[in-house]
Amino acid sequence: MNLAINLIQALLLIAIAPLVSGIIARSKAQMQNRRGASLWRPYAELLKLFRKQDLVPDTASALFRFAPVILFAATATAAAFVPVLHPSALFDVSGDIILFVYLLAIGRFFLMLGAMDGGSSFGGLGASREALVSALAEAPLLLALISVAILSHTVSLSGIVLATVRQDPLHLSAVYAFALGALVLVAIAETGRIPVDNPSTHLELTMIHEAMVLEYSGPSLALIEWASAMKLTLILALLTGIFAPWGMATNASIAALFLAPLVFAVKLALLAAVIAVIESSIAKLRIYLIPDFLGMASALAILAVAFTALMR
Amino acid sequence: MMQIIFNSFLVVLLIIPAVTLVCRRGRRVRFAPSLLLLLVCVAGAIVAAFSFWRGDRLAVDLSWATPFPFALSVDRLSAFFLLLICAVGAPVTLFSISYVERHYSQGKADWLWALLPLFVLSMALVVTASTAFAFLCGWELMTLFSAALILIDGDSERRRHNIFIYLLMMHAGAAAVIASFFLFLPHANGLDFAAMRGAAAAMPTGMRTAIFLLSFIGFGTKAGIVPFHLWLPKAHPIAPSPVSALMSAVMLKTAIYGFVRFTFDFLGGGPIWWGYLVLLAGAISGLLGILYALTEHDLKRILAYHSVENIGIIYLGLGTALVFMANNSPAWAAVALVAALLHSLNHALFKSLLFLGAGAVSEATHTIDIEQMGGLLKRMKLTGIVFLIGCCSIIGLPLFNGFVSEWMIFRSFIEGSQLQGISSSIVLPLMAGVLALIGGLAAACFAKIFGVAFLGRARSPQAEQATEVARPMQSAMALLAASCVVIGILPGLVVNPLAVLANDLMHTPVLPEGAFSISRTLPWIAACAAFLMIVIAGLRRITRITPTWACGLPALDSRMQYSAAAFSKPLRTVFARVYKADRTVDVQYAQPPYFAKSVSYCSVRTTSFERSLYRPAVNGIVNIATRLRKLQTGNMQVYLLYIFLALIALLVFMRFA
Repeated sequence: MNLAINLIQALLLIAIAPLVSGIIARSKAQMQNRRGASLWRPYAELLKLFRKQDLVPDTASALFRFAPVILFAATATAAAFVPVLHPSALFDVSGDIILFVYLLAIGRFFLMLGAMDGGSSFGGLGASREALVSALAEAPLLLALISVAILSHTVSLSGIVLATVRQDPLHLSAVYAFALGALVLVAIAETGRIPVDNPSTHLELTMIHEAMVLEYSGPSLALIEWASAMKLTLILALLTGIFAPWGMATNASIAALFLAPLVFAVKLALLAAVIAVIESSIAKLRIYLIPDFLGMASALAILAVAFTALMR
Repeated sequence: MMQIIFNSFLVVLLIIPAVTLVCRRGRRVRFAPSLLLLLVCVAGAIVAAFSFWRGDRLAVDLSWATPFPFALSVDRLSAFFLLLICAVGAPVTLFSISYVERHYSQGKADWLWALLPLFVLSMALVVTASTAFAFLCGWELMTLFSAALILIDGDSERRRHNIFIYLLMMHAGAAAVIASFFLFLPHANGLDFAAMRGAAAAMPTGMRTAIFLLSFIGFGTKAGIVPFHLWLPKAHPIAPSPVSALMSAVMLKTAIYGFVRFTFDFLGGGPIWWGYLVLLAGAISGLLGILYALTEHDLKRILAYHSVENIGIIYLGLGTALVFMANNSPAWAAVALVAALLHSLNHALFKSLLFLGAGAVSEATHTIDIEQMGGLLKRMKLTGIVFLIGCCSIIGLPLFNGFVSEWMIFRSFIEGSQLQGISSSIVLPLMAGVLALIGGLAAACFAKIFGVAFLGRARSPQAEQATEVARPMQSAMALLAASCVVIGILPGLVVNPLAVLANDLMHTPVLPEGAFSISRTLPWIAACAAFLMIVIAGLRRITRITPTWACGLPALDSRMQYSAAAFSKPLRTVFARVYKADRTVDVQYAQPPYFAKSVSYCSVRTTSFERSLYRPAVNGIVNIATRLRKLQTGNMQVYLLYIFLALIALLVFMRFA
């Protein structure tokens, strides 16, 4: 039973990822007084891309075609660590917060390599900027996760979620505030949203992720797009799981199991709408302001960790 | 049986140089020394593995033949490091067989095959010695043989200068090591390890602190922790690639062995500030090592700086163990120690792999400047793939060996939050941030190396014509890569015996629960990822080869690619304060201020330590020496006066003493 739910929630995360980008695109359009495309458009786009030819630059090696596969596989494996419907996951092991962070790093590393294999300056430009953002984002991400792990006396994601579920929402530790602040900032940087990166730009002055995937087309591009949507969904699911897990099925009753996906869907849609609001109201940061942005995240994460000890 | 193999291991290593002399004439037997060395390394690895896994003790006593007690003994700790030496030594030898064949004349090859076994022997001596005399013999010989091996590649002025700095710093370090041995003398009856271990507990605190600090400096110099790392990026890159692999992967680890032996085995831990000092050294070495590596374009120098970084990570583990010991938590101290030792082994494997890869690449392209490479993965498939495995291991991606040890270090950092002492419970978890930052920067650095050297277009005609290296070189690298992956997926093979070793040192029965939880999950994750990859890769994909999009221009050329300097520019800008680069820009104008005729730009980094720490010290010493020169007039009468004055001073001293 548990295994089935765990499998379903991992597959669910993979399946709904394009929908989340659809919701963000739609809400953004409506913020800007446009009607916007259908919520399901990302699925149609993936389908279209999967049917197309894969164009491979003549300079590229086999790694160019393998990088998207590895990116997708690593991100999908990371999906098996996130508790969604109930406080447990397919790969549920003490210390998985580190594994989760580093599984995402695999995909990023190979995407950077794939970008550099194209042999044009755009790929290198994107990879270089991605290296800047990811190198500085890893520390606050891990520290923020560690601070909540210390609070809940466990080192596994599901343990953290379980500890938060059992707490009285009105008596949460202030550490959560710092950790939430840090994680939100890191989530924006990691998933390449405004103000760190603009997912809809094609201007070489500003693009990071788009520059990396410029040479990709067809099924490879589909895998990359799907994996980035999945990464966004994973991090949003992680945020809701750690900071607002209420509504998860803590027992195996039918009612709880039916309620959990609904509550999760509502939370996810809300977060997607928040992202749309942020993206419509803030301008992108200049690239050399990104370290300050992540410096803020690091400061919050350091405070979160320090307070776990001071407030014992 | 094992004892016999161990004895013959030592003896054969000693006679290989003679074999080299005998076999130099015959064409048929010219591979004898190399094959013998390969065989001996494999035999040594087998003995060490048995001793490490089963805990067999081996001993050799040569005190009857030497003026001072000279004895070797192999316990688990020694066996682990002996295994590390031999396990890296065997592939390196295999690699050298064809490397030497292509690079060196007969004379130089003879020197290499004569010196390489002695270098291995001296390292084996260091890690198996059980008396101070044997240890120091090995310690000195190791330095001298490695310096001699560096000289094989030539002795230009610049190289001699670098080797001079290497020898100078090694001897300064050795002085500290010798002093820390001799400080035991007033309290221990004899300088064999058992006596030292017995005496350490009863020694006064000041003496223990002095021993700790001296061994920290002495072994730290050999290990290359900042600020004693100055020699490392100078000496390692100029050695022949197989020798750099041995120096970086193995020789640095003998310093880790010495430090563990002194601090954990003899002294048995100490006050908490020892741990903080080691953590601080680890954090600074890790961060500065990786930051300096980011700015370099010389493949071997980058790898040398990465050694500084990885030694930093090992010191983070050792420091954590000391903090846990000081907080009366020996079980978790054992975990941190296992992590540090495992990282030593892992670093030995992937760093030798990467250095051998650098050797292969430099053989194919005749350069070690990554800006002159590019597109090598297409032309050197196997070298490229194993180099990629090395990259994934060193930056600690899951399913590769570097991840396992870094995970354990992270795990013990997090556990530090449960300690009673408030300072430890803040410092240790925050160190996880440092390690994560090191990891992130390392990923950026290796994306740069692999992306610039192996991917995209060839950046020079030599790179265009690169071809795959010889079979023995390929198989040596493939062996090391395979061991990286095996430890990455099935870490229990090494961790379980290491846990026994650490528990012995810490006097605890077992590792705490959850300290090594991922060992059972990693194979499943590997299976899951492999399954997904096979499924996705199996999807039908029609590919068409097209030129890269050139924005409508006719075609791209290799100069339009992002270079390594451009790649690291954002990070260099962010950390500009650390580098304090010396930049000189010289622009010649045809018509100022427009139409630049020529621009020359020179930026020198990585010298801030030389400038702000070593330069004043050297200047000071030279200054004093210049003043003292006045004493040396060269006049016979003055020297007679000195003798006379010294005599009177002695007489006066003896009268009142």
